[in-house]
Amino acid sequence: MEGQPKPRSSRSKLFYIPGAESFTRMDPWWGLVVLVVGLAVTLVTVKADPFLRILLFVRDGVAVTAFITVAAFMFTLVLGMIGGLGRLSQNWVIHGIATLYVEIVRGIPLLVQLIWWYFAFPVVIQGIGRWLNFTAMANYQSNAIFTAVTGLTICYGAYMSEIYRAGIQSIPKGQGEAARSLGMTHFQSMRHVVLPQAVRVVLPPVGNEFIALLKDSCLVSVVAVADLTRRGREFMAVHFNPIEVWTMVALLYLVMTLFLARLVSWVEKKTHFER
Amino acid sequence: MDVHKGEVVVIIGPSGSGKSTLLRCINRLEEYDAGRIVVDGIPLDSAQNISAVRREIGIVFQSFNLFAHLTAMENLTLAQRVVRKRSRGESEKIALELLTKVGIPDKARAYPIQLSGGQQQRVAIARALAMNPKIMLFDEPTSALDPEMIKEVLDVMLALASEGMTMVVVSHEMGFARAAAKRIILIDEGQIIEEDTPEKLFASRHERTRQFLSKVLHM
Repeated sequence: MEGQPKPRSSRSKLFYIPGAESFTRMDPWWGLVVLVVGLAVTLVTVKADPFLRILLFVRDGVAVTAFITVAAFMFTLVLGMIGGLGRLSQNWVIHGIATLYVEIVRGIPLLVQLIWWYFAFPVVIQGIGRWLNFTAMANYQSNAIFTAVTGLTICYGAYMSEIYRAGIQSIPKGQGEAARSLGMTHFQSMRHVVLPQAVRVVLPPVGNEFIALLKDSCLVSVVAVADLTRRGREFMAVHFNPIEVWTMVALLYLVMTLFLARLVSWVEKKTHFER
Repeated sequence: MDVHKGEVVVIIGPSGSGKSTLLRCINRLEEYDAGRIVVDGIPLDSAQNISAVRREIGIVFQSFNLFAHLTAMENLTLAQRVVRKRSRGESEKIALELLTKVGIPDKARAYPIQLSGGQQQRVAIARALAMNPKIMLFDEPTSALDPEMIKEVLDVMLALASEGMTMVVVSHEMGFARAAAKRIILIDEGQIIEEDTPEKLFASRHERTRQFLSKVLHM
């Protein structure tokens, strides 16, 4: 590949690497967004009762959903990195723990895990607290939002660990060998050479997980969290109009995931580079 | 096998004979089961901190192994800053000097994907030299290059040899061996078959040596 592509400002140099595409202004995504948002706006204005009332009622649920998703995702990114490195560890204890974690968590449905964290886990803690005579633990009550974020993080962390592991393994061995031959420790070669490249490789599946997490966040409605789905259920329980309520809720989820997918796509394009 | 300071030793042999493995044992990229390797007085198997030993050994790979996400300049300065703890300014100065020495100062801000094979290998040589190693190892440095780019890399290696760098080179380039090597070692199936100066080796009466040379020397 000849010719020097012109770099943009030095601030974007962090992401500019030849091969990074610029995103086009007009593409099918915009069409879909216009369609969905247009539909939602039409419904709310043309048939304000019930659609506008639904929207106003569930909007704090939107905030809760967004908060839980973002919080869980941030922690999952960290947990995934730790789990992925653990799965690759030469130390058999660390490797064993990481493998156990991934296999167990991937073997139990997310809904069951969330229910367990909310109902069963506090009983375990209280039991241990009573046994150790530790009153703070014995009086432990579960906090819905905390439980939800924890449950989502632990579940998605397992899948994220495997994604990170695959990403790290996809980096040619020669990169690490060159780094270590220059005198870098294993940790230094990971931090400066392997992980920066692995992170770019895993962005598409990680972005995927982010979108999946947004949709799976609706499961927390079962464990007393007032997210979008639960607010929709509450409205429906009072007014008995499932079609309108669930159409509106579905549209809201769709708008959120579309924007999220776009964000992921933008980050991917900005950091992609050819090797 | 001994290599003294300032010597250029070229290792030749058929594929699968263990030449690359031997080279990679010297900086412990490969582990060995028997025998001893001592680098600059430090025995490798009992070395506490292999990273400290590796700092003094430069290696150039057949597949270059440049850090794909960094520019040529950054490839050279990364290890200097992280391992030798030099300042950014100092490491960039050294990097630029070395890039000039290997003939491509204008490519400092280019990424490896933008460079030709010969240029990448020269950057790789500069990257190894940036750490001021005591010995340079070359693992078939020109084997992955198009023919027209081999000379530019060999020229850099010849210049390095004439400056007195201690070099161990695994290569099929007999021209280079004849010009620069103090000794050539022929290895086959993990054993040293013959070890001698280029003139004596190319005129050798030894059966396996003559067999191998007849296959490799096209002229």
